[in-house]
Parts: sequence; structure tokens; C-alpha cells
Amino acid sequence: MKFEIEDVTVYFPYDNIYPEQYSYMVELKRALDARGHCLLEMPTGTGKTIALLSLITSYVLSKPQSPLKLVYCTRTVHEMEKTLAELKKLHDYQVKHLGPAARILAVGLSSRKNLCVNPRVLSAENRDSVDAGCRKLTASWVRALAERNPGVPTCEFFEDYERAGSGAVLPPGVYTLQDLRAFGKQKGWCPYYLARHMVQLANVIVYSYQYLLDPKVAGIISKEMQRECVVVFDEAHNIDNVCIEALSVCVRRQTLEGATRNLHRMEQEIDRFKATDESRLRAEYQRLVEGLALRGDLRVNDTWLANPALPDDILKEAVPGNIRRADFFLRVLRRFVQYLKGRLETENVEKESPVAFVASVTNQAGIDQKTLKFCYDRLHSLMMTLEITDTDEFLHIQTICDFATLVGTYARGFSIIIEPFDERMPDVQDPVLQLSCHDASLAIKPVFDRFQTVVITSGTLSPIDLYPRLLNFNPVVSRSFTMSLTRDCICPMVLTRGSDQLPVSTKFDMRSDLGVVRNYGRLLLEMVSVVPDGIVCFFVSYSYMDEIVNSWNESGILKEIMQHKLVFIETQDVVETTLALDNYRRACDCGRGAVFFSVARGKVAEGIDFDRHYGRLVIMFGIPFQYTLSKILLARLEYLRDTFQIKEGDFLTFDALRQAAQCVGRVIRSKADYGMMIFADKRYSRHDKRSKLPGWILSHLRDAHLNLSTDMAVYIAREFLRKMAQPYDKAGSGGKKTLLSQEDIEKMGDSSLNDMLY
Amino acid sequence: MASAQVIKRAKYKTTVKDPGTAGVLKMAWDRFIFTPNHPNSASNLDVEFRFIKGHKNTKEGSNKPPWLNLTNDQGGSYIFEFESYPDLHTCRDFVGKSIGRSGETPTAASGKTDASLPDEQISTAELELRIKLLRENSELQKLHKQLVIGGILTEAEFWATRKKLLDRESSRKSKQRVGFKSAMISDIKPATDGRTNKVTFSLTPEVILQIFAEKPAVHAAFLKYVPNKMTEKDFWTKYFKAEYLHSTRNAVAAAAEAAEDEELAIFLRNDDILAKEARQKIRRVDPTVNMEADQGDDYMHLPDHGLFRDGGKDIIESQYELYRRTLAHDLNRHAAVVLEGRTVEVELEDTRTVAEALAKLKRVESANEDSDGTANQGILERIARITEIEDLQASHGPPLAPLCIKDPRDYFDSQQVIAVKAPAAEGKKCNLSSREAYGSLRDSISQTKQMGLLNPVVKTKDALQVFNALSHDISRTKYDVGKNPQDSVLDKLPSTTKEQLLHHWTSIQELLRHFWSSYPITSSYLYAKVNRLKDAMSQIYPQLEVCSLLIS
Repeated sequence: MKFEIEDVTVYFPYDNIYPEQYSYMVELKRALDARGHCLLEMPTGTGKTIALLSLITSYVLSKPQSPLKLVYCTRTVHEMEKTLAELKKLHDYQVKHLGPAARILAVGLSSRKNLCVNPRVLSAENRDSVDAGCRKLTASWVRALAERNPGVPTCEFFEDYERAGSGAVLPPGVYTLQDLRAFGKQKGWCPYYLARHMVQLANVIVYSYQYLLDPKVAGIISKEMQRECVVVFDEAHNIDNVCIEALSVCVRRQTLEGATRNLHRMEQEIDRFKATDESRLRAEYQRLVEGLALRGDLRVNDTWLANPALPDDILKEAVPGNIRRADFFLRVLRRFVQYLKGRLETENVEKESPVAFVASVTNQAGIDQKTLKFCYDRLHSLMMTLEITDTDEFLHIQTICDFATLVGTYARGFSIIIEPFDERMPDVQDPVLQLSCHDASLAIKPVFDRFQTVVITSGTLSPIDLYPRLLNFNPVVSRSFTMSLTRDCICPMVLTRGSDQLPVSTKFDMRSDLGVVRNYGRLLLEMVSVVPDGIVCFFVSYSYMDEIVNSWNESGILKEIMQHKLVFIETQDVVETTLALDNYRRACDCGRGAVFFSVARGKVAEGIDFDRHYGRLVIMFGIPFQYTLSKILLARLEYLRDTFQIKEGDFLTFDALRQAAQCVGRVIRSKADYGMMIFADKRYSRHDKRSKLPGWILSHLRDAHLNLSTDMAVYIAREFLRKMAQPYDKAGSGGKKTLLSQEDIEKMGDSSLNDMLY
Repeated sequence: MASAQVIKRAKYKTTVKDPGTAGVLKMAWDRFIFTPNHPNSASNLDVEFRFIKGHKNTKEGSNKPPWLNLTNDQGGSYIFEFESYPDLHTCRDFVGKSIGRSGETPTAASGKTDASLPDEQISTAELELRIKLLRENSELQKLHKQLVIGGILTEAEFWATRKKLLDRESSRKSKQRVGFKSAMISDIKPATDGRTNKVTFSLTPEVILQIFAEKPAVHAAFLKYVPNKMTEKDFWTKYFKAEYLHSTRNAVAAAAEAAEDEELAIFLRNDDILAKEARQKIRRVDPTVNMEADQGDDYMHLPDHGLFRDGGKDIIESQYELYRRTLAHDLNRHAAVVLEGRTVEVELEDTRTVAEALAKLKRVESANEDSDGTANQGILERIARITEIEDLQASHGPPLAPLCIKDPRDYFDSQQVIAVKAPAAEGKKCNLSSREAYGSLRDSISQTKQMGLLNPVVKTKDALQVFNALSHDISRTKYDVGKNPQDSVLDKLPSTTKEQLLHHWTSIQELLRHFWSSYPITSSYLYAKVNRLKDAMSQIYPQLEVCSLLIS
């Protein structure tokens, strides 16, 4: 359908549109007009992504004088694939209606591991070896060597791509990773470098958060983006955690040992160069004296992870004199590693601010703050000079330099925590020195500064006023949408008691109680016999899931469950989990039905949809609180309290409930879909916990469903499923329209639409 | 036949109430003999299976003892009470086979006598299939009797033209396959005798098959070691020892044991074959759930980056990873195997054959996967479908199954009946005036004239498909001739003559088919065959004349 929002003609690839999608577009357009940032919460299953893509692409189409680029950030690669699939549909529609003028170039960008088509490189086990394998074939010195000596292997895809030169471009269209690989194979061009090159030219780029947020990666990929960009962070409810992780580093014994090995090897290399080719080392020194920007003269195929701190802070200064010479720099690093080793040998937990830490480094190891700050870039330069290609072997020393650079750059928002062991396993000695970032705004600040519009959107951003504080920005539009439903297609329930009427909870003192475990088991058992197709269960942690599943296995409950449905479990092994998910879907597709056990805060909860028959019921066993005794968490809470006046308890509840909401929110895909959500913990019935759930869940949580026992929940489930099986009027009955056709939109102005929604 | 006889202890009862006489039941391939323990008991039995018409038995799990009830053709019955259900099942299966066989015997025997072509070697299974076909289809049987037993065609020639029938028959046989049980194999609990520390596991071929399917390493080890290096019993003893070590969840002990015993280590270690399979499978996984790709893209979680001991994360034990196998892993593997549902089509008797059949099946599968290039396209289409928001769009129409008319004759006839009936029924009820009728007719004609027949009622493609399906068998005019009462001459004939005629018709058709298929005559064998066929056909003509004489 095609309709007008003020001066923009929106092309929307469906025949109908939900009213909330329409108002979402209206709000988004306001933000684009105002060239400001915005924060939009819209329930899952209301087609956020397509609404967003439609509006922005249409906005660009109707204002050709100001070309805007869309940078769409997803959390995961599979979300990227989904987004690109939707974009494909939209693009087809726009081209059909507007002709070739609507053609755009949209690419998804990922790592070498996901884009490489060279079978020799791809056979490597993990990502880092793939990266290193690629560098071994494409680094400039390797290629220079290969020119002289044909026996040196190179990558034919990269060579062909280089040979094609500026002719190597992608024709307009929407390219998923699979399409990129296919195109690369067909042309014989390297898809990875092609995609990286096309990022500069594309109208729409889809990639994951880190390419903008993590300075290590963003420095390479996103540094040349112009200001005229709309940056979208989808599923952004966890964005603060992502930002924090991007700037955190931890150092363990293994790291230090590895770093020592790395240093040793680099020393050997330096000696070798001194003997054979000393001019090279001298050239590097000269370059550093002149203060050349390190990355400026590097070829695209030589770059690797960039500076972990924000690049702008560093590029303006020259590398300090005392580390310009290669062997001096190595000596500094060795002293630093030695110092860290000493710090790790502690019996007690220590907490320090970066300033105090740097002072102590200066005193004891004689390394000043400025030297620390330049460690990473200096290492980078040295590794280039030494022509080291197996970068995967050198991750440890990179970590140390990361740490040094971050600690030297930031004076506030961080703390250094040294723990001799994990409190949860006090008998295992595993000392960790953790540089932990507390301030999410640090990593995202350059994004807000650089780009004209940043859109932060998700199904769960409640309470919506908290995010601007955490991320330290001023949105021009901040809005939370409710969901207008044709029928009550979601059915949240709070289960407080088991079949024996005793309370259930994952509270610390109750969670391993056999009665609670049994009650949870009975609940699932009753539900698998009632609910068709897929059921998803979320547990509060891996260890709790292991414990409870083992206990169910021993008591025979698991066997009974398996008589109804197949059981799949998320494990910490990503490959296994992926296969389990794939099998789960197939089991649901073939009608056999299945149960998926997963973990809140796990990888599955983060981004896998359990819509339609893939999930008719989600059970959230317990409240997924963080481990509150964690030193890192405590430090962060303290920081939040001091800087943003956010109370500890409030933040913990907010964090737990957004995870829970995120887990259960994945059942709904559209208004035709339906699903139930069971919050199985007595604490959910308390108002202070419950009220933190997003509005669209709360509005369907009836008072009668706040304090249920297993038998009542089963009864409600039966009734609900029966009701959902009846045919219904899709357009919505009565006064409220829940599905708008083209005429509906033409008939009513914005005002009446807003009246209708609120 | 393989197991020529079965001997079981049983009680013979004349009626249900009868307490029964204890004795021994012996079943041979053509008869069963009951010998009571007490020599002077009167209930000595010796019955041939061809007198047995049917058999019933009590179900396992019902409260009744294991009874087998055999009914003879006089309506009488023999009831045997067995000591256990397995006994009952063996006997029941045996009886089932025997009854079937005794019914077949005459035809089978006659078939065999004429199997004169020297190079013909058919398996018993195929023979059984042929016999079954003949028994099910009387027409075929008659034809077979006339042509093969009459010596006109050889057995092989007769069946050569019916290969399709045989194939279809065999495929139908394998249609209903039994999948794996949902229950985990780890659920087989050992039986203890209570006095010693010994535990006993009982393994059935099905369990073994499941173990092989779920644990390729065990499967590979079995193929490698048994029977060259160790006996099957030793093998399973080791296996269960390993399982026991797993169940104690003592990774340290497992590692220690594995260090001592090389073969045991195979069971304790993580399965390399599985890991390899997983790597292969992950390439074809739906990209919208592929979390492995995420990991490949995640530079945020470089080793030692990010928050290590964060409150939101779990602790991971990494020690003895090699010997740690979790329940979760087992569950996933089990469910995957059940979902795949592949079964080997061999009699589950010998472990070795099971293992080999499974290995063969796997090879075939991997070969299939390699050649499967269209999979990616399918995945892309699926994603496109999934990403669509269903209710924002008019539905694409329910996915339709292609029209598959099992028996075109029935379908055609029923359609015809409806077509014939419908106007007649309307004619009775309809009391429109001719004017109105004319008016509506004119309207619809003018409408058609205006609009044209732009959208035909049925899509041409579909129509063609239906047409083809229906007209496929239309050449078999015999039935149309026979069924339509108005214009069939045959119906006026007495039924015996009609049947005779139809029979001659089919046989002459068969003969002609063979006749023409023998051309060009290149060998003396064919020459002889053609001569035989010619003679047979010439014999039919006088018979037809006799028929016509009888009618007139």
C-alpha cells in the first residue's frame, strides 16, 4: 500500500497496516525532520522492523536532495538476516511501484568467518584463525613476496578483487550474507573486502552493534561514515550492557603467560630483523617520530582490530618518545606484564579507580599514563613492521595493550577489580584483574555526536525515561506504544503456587528445595499435555537449568514430559544449541511438538523468535536477577547511584524484569498469532516487581491471573487455546480498528488516528 | 523357512473357564502338536495349520494371563495359556506366518512347478509378494492360472510385464515405519539381584539400534572391534561400564579409567564423529537461527575482553572437558535422532547386521547431502515466508495438496452419478416460470459477452492436470462398457457368459501384449514363445464361438 505522512509518500509492502505501525512511522518521521535522536518502544509482534525500514527508505526516496544513509544495527547475525529478508520484500515492492529509480544498495556486513569463500581459509576452526588465515594470504608484504616468488600462496579471490580495482562493485539490490557469498563466488571476488568497500557506497547497511559501538571494530569499519546517517539500534533494550562490555577487559593468568610468550617471540623477530633488515625498524622509528597517524597509510587488507579506546582522543597526539624504539617498547611491555603478575597474586578482593591504578603503575613499574595510552597503537605498528600474520597467536599481548590503553585514557567511569577467585566457587583459584566500565554513555557518545539521527527501539524499553539517563543523550522523540489487539491473543499469567498449593520461587533460599523443583516439573508436565506445538522454558541460569533438569530426569518427570514432546536444551556450546534450535523448529513444523529449555540472558533469549507454532507457551521459571554479590555488579551499582541517582534495588529489578519480558515477548509475531506466558515465581505477584514489565504485557495481565496455582493455570490455558482456535474478524470489531486498509488511512487524519490509539 | 519350529510350555484349555492341562506346545511349519505333561491326559493334540482359520490373543498390560486362541474351520477353538507374554508373542507370530503360508501353498506350489526358465532365481520375499498379489486379485489369479499353469507363458514372462505392480507393492509395505521411542536409552535401568554388586542390563536389538544411531562413536567402535578384537558381550560390558562412569558424574574418575583402558576411552570421550557431523549440518541450518554465525561476528567477546565475572554470567568449569558429557547433550542428541526417524529395514535380530545396515544408510545419506544443491534455495524461500507478517496481507491461499485420485474409476463413476442426478433433482423442485429462467439465462449470457471469459472457472493448468489424471485409465474401456447400463450389450447377456467374455478379453489382451513384444523374433526362444502364444490365441476363438452359440 501507499500512503502519505505529511510530505512523505510511504511505500509499505503489505495491503494493510496496523495503527501502531502508522503512528510509529509518524513519530519516526518527526525525529528525522528534527534531525535528532529518538527512543521508541513498541511491543514485539507489531512489525517494528518493516515499519522502520519502510519509513526511512520512503523518506529518502521522497527527498532526493538530501541523501540519507541508513545504518541498521542488529544484535546478532540471524537478526541481520531477518532484517535483510524484510528489506528485500520492501525493495521489491518499491521497485515495482517506482521503477528503477527506487533501486538501492543494501548490504549486510559480517566478519571474515561468515563471508569468506576461500575453502582453505574457511577450514579453520574459529573466527580468529580464519582472520589470521586470511591475513596470511592477503597481507601486503605476503603479496609483495608472492610477486617475486610464485610459490607463496595468495588468495585468488582477493587477487581478482584487487585486479578488478574500481570496477569491483555490487550492482544495486539487497544482499544478505548468503547473497554476498554467492556473488563473490560467481565473480571470483572476495565478498568480505567487497562488502567492506561497498559499505561506503551503500544506501542501507545492516551490521551488528559492535561495528559502531566497539571502538576496536568501529575504528576500521565505520570511521568514514558521513554525518547524514540514520543509525538504528534494534532490540536495544540491552544496549547499555553492550556498551559497557565493549570497553571492558579482563586479565587472567593465562593472558599474562600468553603475553610473555608473545613478547618473547617478538623479541626474536626484532633480533632477526636487526641482523637482516635493520632499515625497516629504522623506518618505523622515523615514521613514529614524524607522528604519522598510524592507520592513515595502511591498506585495507592490512588493518586489524583498531584501538580499543575512542580513536579521536588519540590520533591528535604523537607516540611518546620512550616507546618509539621497538626494543624499548618491548621492555616497557615486559615491565607492565610483570607488574600485572604481581597484582594478580593477591589474597583479597581489591578495587581501585583508574587514576589510582595508573599512579601505582608509574610508581612501581615506571610507566606513565601517556605511555600506557599509546600501547595499543604502538603494538599495532610494531606487529605490522615485524610482518606478523598469525595474529590469532598474539591475542594475549593485544589484550594487555587494550587494557593499558583504556586505563591510560579514561579517568572516570571505570574501576579495576582484582578477585582471587569466584565467590561461587571459592575453592578454585582463578585470579582475575578486571577493568570494568560502568558508564554506558562512554562507548555510545561518539555515535550520538557523529550521526544526525540515532533511533533506539525495542519491544521492552520500560521505564523509557531511564535509557536517556543511562546513555546520556537527549531524545527529541521518546514514546512508548501500546498494542491494539483484535482479540486477546496474549495471555500472561503469574503462577505463584504449585499443584500442592505451596509457593514456588527461585529465591536463593527456595530454589533448590525439592518441592519447588517438583512443582515446576509438574507445571511443565501438565502444560505439555495441554498445549500444542512448541513450548519454551526459560531458567534463570545455566547452572540452575542443569540442576533442575537433572533432578527431573532422576524423578522421572522428564521421561513423562518426553512422552508428549521432544526435549531440546540450550547449552553453552553454540554449535550444539544452533542445531538443537533447528531441530526444535523442525519438530514443531512436522507437528510433533517440542519443548525448548533455555536460559534468560543466554544467547537464545537474546534474539531467537518463538513465534507462531514455534512457541505457543513460554514459561519463565523464576526472576532472572543478576548474581548480586558480583563485585563488578556492585561497583556498577555504586557508580549508577552516585552519578545518576538510580537506586540499586530499582536497577536490579529493572534489569531482571527487562530480561524476563524479553524472554516471554518473543512468542508474538503478528496480531494473528497467539501465545501464553507464564511467570512462575511468587515474587511476580508483588506490585513493585510486576509494574516493571512493559505496558503491553501488563495491560493483558488480568487481576484474576495474578495469583494462580498449577491447576488453575492449566484450566486457563485450556480455555485460552479453545478461544484462540475460533475464527475471528481480522480487521477488529466495534469502535477500534486494529488493521487499517488504504482507504482507512486516506479517510482519517493523524488526529483521529491518535485518538483511536490512546 | 528359518525357524522351522517353536516349542513352548503352555496350558491347553478347552474353554475359557477350564483350568487347563499343562504341557508342551510344539509348532512346526505345517502343524502344531500339544503334548500334556501328564502322559495319560486325554488332551493330546495334533492339528494341521490349514484347518486353523484365525487366531486371537490377550493383550499385554491387560489383566488377563497370556492366552492364545486358535479357531478352526469348524468353529471350535484351542486356547493355550503361556507362561509369559514373550512366549505368547513368538507363538502368535509363528501361527500368523503358518496360517498365511498354508493358505498360499497350493498356488505357490503350482507356480513353482512351471518356473522352468533356468536363469530364474527369485527370492522367497518376492515369491511371497507374487503370491500375495495373486491372492488379492482374483482376476490376476485366473489369468495366471490359465497362462502360466497352462504352459503358455513362463512365470518370469508373466511377471515381467507387471514389474510396476511388484514395485508398488513393496514400497507400500515399507510405508509405515516405526520410529524410535521418545524415551531415552539411558532410561534402561539395570536390574540388580540384590545380593552381589553385579548389575544386569538387558539389551534388545531396538535398544542397540538406538544406541548406534545416537552414538556414532560406539557404532564405529563396534564395527571395528567386534568380533575381531573382542566378543559382543565384552563390548557391551565395556559400554555399560562407561555409561556407569558417566552416571556418577565424576569426570576425574572417568579420565583416570580412560587413561588405563584404551577401548573404554572411546566411550568416555566426546564423540568426534558427532562433532564432525555437527559442523557439516551447521552449514545448512536456517540462517535465522544460526547463532554460530553470531559468534563468528562477535569481536566484542574476544578472549579476555568484556566482563568476565559479571553477575549476569554463569560460571563454566573447563576442567576435564573431554570426559564430561552432560545430560543436556544426551537429550539434544536423542531428540535429534528421534526426529530424523531413520530406521534400518532389516529384521532386528543380529547386532552385526544392524550395525552394518546403519552404516550403509549413513553413507547413502551423506552422499545425498553432498549432491543436494537446492537446499539453500529452499531455506531462502522459507525465510521469506517466515518474515512476512501474515495478517497484514490477504492470504496466499492455503497450501494445496495436489489432486491424487486413488482410483479414477470410482471417482469418475461417482461424479457421473452426481451429474446425472443433479439436474433431475433440480427439475423436480424448480418452479420458476420459463420467463424467469429465460431472463436469467439471457442476463448471464450478456454478462459473459461484456466481460468475456477472462477468468476461466478453472485454471487451465489445473484443468489439464485433472483431465490427464482422469483420462489416464480411460483406455480401459472394459469397465465403462460394463458399467453403463444403457449402452452396454454385455448386460443383456447372462452373467456367467459375461464373465467368461471379460475373462477371454483380458487373456487375449495379455497374450497379444506378449505376442507383439516378442517381435522382432531374434532367437529360437522367442520363436517358440510366439508359437505358443499363437496357439493359445487360436484356442480362444472356438471358445468364443461356443459362447455366442450358447446365447443365441
